[in-house]
Amino acid sequence: MSDSGLKLPAVLDLNAAAPLRSDLLALRGGPVEIDASQVQRIGGLCLQVLMAAKATWANDGKPFEIVSTSAPFLESLKLFGLADPSLEPAQERAS
Amino acid sequence: MDPLAAIKVTFFQECEEQLAELESGLLVMQDGAHDDEMINALFRAVHSIKGGAGTFGLEALVRFAHVFETVLDEMRSGKLPVDGNVVAIMLRAADMLADHVRAARDDGTADEERSRAIAGELANLCGISADGPDEVVEEIEGLDFVPVAFAFDDTPPPAPEPEPEIAMPAAAAEPEGPPRETWTITFKPRAALYASGNETAFLLRELQRLGDMDVTVSAAALPLLQDLDPEEGYLVWTVSLVTAAEETAIREVFEFVDGDCDIEVKSARADASGALDVHALIAMATAAGAPAEAREPSPAPMPAAATAPEPDNSDLMEIIKFIDDAKAAVAAEEKGEIAPSLPAADMAAPAAKAAVGQSAAAAQGGAGGAPQAGQTIRVDLERVDRLIDLVGELVINQAMLAQRVAECGLARSSSVAIGLDDLEHLTREIQDSVMAIRAQPVKSVFQRMPRLVREVAAMVGKQVRLVTEGEGTEVDKTVIERLTDPITHMIRNAIDHGLEKTEDRVARGKPAEGTVRLAALHRSGRIVIEVSDDGAGINRERVKNSAISKGLIPANADLSDEEIDNLIFMPGFSTAATVSDISGRGVGMDVVKRSIQALGGRITIASEPGRGSTFTLSLPLTLAVLDGMVVSVCGQTLVAPLTGVVETLQPKASDVRSLGPNGTVIQIRETYLPLIDVGVQLGYRDTPLLPTSGVALLVEGEGGARAALLVDTIQGQRQVVIKSLEANYRKVPGIAGATILGDGRVALILDVDSVLSAKVTEPPRNQTLLAAAG
Repeated sequence: MSDSGLKLPAVLDLNAAAPLRSDLLALRGGPVEIDASQVQRIGGLCLQVLMAAKATWANDGKPFEIVSTSAPFLESLKLFGLADPSLEPAQERAS
Repeated sequence: MDPLAAIKVTFFQECEEQLAELESGLLVMQDGAHDDEMINALFRAVHSIKGGAGTFGLEALVRFAHVFETVLDEMRSGKLPVDGNVVAIMLRAADMLADHVRAARDDGTADEERSRAIAGELANLCGISADGPDEVVEEIEGLDFVPVAFAFDDTPPPAPEPEPEIAMPAAAAEPEGPPRETWTITFKPRAALYASGNETAFLLRELQRLGDMDVTVSAAALPLLQDLDPEEGYLVWTVSLVTAAEETAIREVFEFVDGDCDIEVKSARADASGALDVHALIAMATAAGAPAEAREPSPAPMPAAATAPEPDNSDLMEIIKFIDDAKAAVAAEEKGEIAPSLPAADMAAPAAKAAVGQSAAAAQGGAGGAPQAGQTIRVDLERVDRLIDLVGELVINQAMLAQRVAECGLARSSSVAIGLDDLEHLTREIQDSVMAIRAQPVKSVFQRMPRLVREVAAMVGKQVRLVTEGEGTEVDKTVIERLTDPITHMIRNAIDHGLEKTEDRVARGKPAEGTVRLAALHRSGRIVIEVSDDGAGINRERVKNSAISKGLIPANADLSDEEIDNLIFMPGFSTAATVSDISGRGVGMDVVKRSIQALGGRITIASEPGRGSTFTLSLPLTLAVLDGMVVSVCGQTLVAPLTGVVETLQPKASDVRSLGPNGTVIQIRETYLPLIDVGVQLGYRDTPLLPTSGVALLVEGEGGARAALLVDTIQGQRQVVIKSLEANYRKVPGIAGATILGDGRVALILDVDSVLSAKVTEPPRNQTLLAAAG
């Protein structure tokens, strides 16, 4: 099983969420490398898809990695409260 | 059209309305009248534009609107006095805002340099309005300034301090430097939020503008990829915001997604006092995949993420009940201090609405806003046009029916005939009502003019005051749409050519400020639009010389004043010594005249040396129907628009005189008028009808020129539905259009003015007319 790559489009908005999910599902079962170097904009829905994919791959015991990123992509992740492209949410705040 | 694009279209439509409101408000202020409610309305208009723009990520627009809004907020709080200078800057800012909106709509960019300059002016307004330098510094120091991409590089503000203040509207909104507070905002977007084109990222970014922000996201409810509905919202964001802004400012961020997300705003103070930890409960409930509230069923059993506990169903029910109780308790406890609207509650939306109610009322943009006391609806123009077409057919059909009944020889008093009369009234009423749907006040056109006047006046260095009258005059939408260009051109002309230079005006004892008047009124079934100036009037000597030098008229032509004035409508005529930037864009008054004529309108000039000129446009209210007098000429049926007919008379042999070889005049009371045989004029016959055997229609053209049109007989008067001859056949001189009569035959509609002027100029073309009528 070789590494499959997925290059993310520049705009990951409402319209991109469903295709992104299908693209990712098609790669399921093997390790995946995501190329986010072209991303200019990412919205909440696509973020969810990526985070769900990350959890799904972890569940399957397969690697899921974002190998290259663009500045807007990282900036958006930060805005969304994600420290880095590992897509790991910060610990739930203790209350 | 994809849904996002459709929402965007609506947003831009609403922007136009807000911009119009903004401008008219500012203009009222300019005249010295203003009250708090008006300033509030202006603020809301700008705020709504900003809010919507934020939703669509239109950064440049948001940035500019933001500065503008801040200044209006200062004004609202009474810190910035309303004076002429401030309003003038704001008017310019309103123009700039409009540019930004249009640039965003057309995917272009607005003039950034100008935008920065105006933003700088606005910023300066705020700077000087601050209560004192110390306080400003204090306010700034009290805030962790989050830099907003807003460049003032070209126009450095007088003092460095005010600049950050602009970026912080929340701070400016407070009369005294308020203490910073920590707010916890828990926010879970629903599918509807994304579906309506909104975006979490924009909301977070807006929050970021308010202060120091720490965001955490919970993926506890996020299912695995195969179970994920890509358009549903699963993530829950918790934002810890340290800001001086008030709760309303925070809630305003969510104004446009009100009802499309679960949101809770709590201050740390309340947190400390509240004994119940609602967050934790909600997090648990959400983590368990509980349907947070009534929404479309989520994809069946939502598997919890690996890390989440899996409470059984009875636990879940308890938790939900507990939340409900807790929510009630907290709400009761904190009433008055803050008004939290809790998620997972059906009353969440109304609560949030109440909190931001006032501003939301003005800005029902985006989606999900409850319909506001529905006075208006947006309807596709196509549907209205289809209805109008159908009503037109109905009118024709009714006329045909009436004719059939008449042919049957039924008495006027028969019940069928009476029923038909009722039907006719009803049809007419329906027609009027349908036309009224399309009718719009000319305000939409007039509103664009103040800006034009400001810009042109600035460009030519004249002081100009625009006075508008009759903005509420209604006219068909098609007419309105095609009015903008001619009016724009005439106003440009009035300022550039009509008004004298300021020093010349002063020298002549006139007020330094020139006045351009734009007025609309209804006059005998038509709309009349007047553009007048109080300038020098048309320089007839110069106009005539110019026309001679351009070879438009022979050097020895003997022209009346009116004829000279009308020279400026000739193609290729321009009196400006140098082609100016304003009027000389290759579009002359001839183009204006042509576009007005294409609308079935006329343009006339009245000019008085030293007193100014008035251009009068007279246009039909609608392009669809007209009241006409149906006449017969050589067995052909023609319709003369009733608006042009003054009276009808039976010529007496003693009143008719020959004039020259072909001319005939008729004496009507004290004057002689040309008697035009329509049959000859249109080429139906070569030998003129004997005047005494026909009927004369005394008609008046737009310019006031009168003549008598000789026709064979008058059939009657009726309303006809205009069918364009130009669109279906081609333009025919002397004919304005066609209509379908009750018997199904085509009748041509006379163009009275063109017949009057053709009398003087060219001979008729026989073939064309017969072909057209056939």
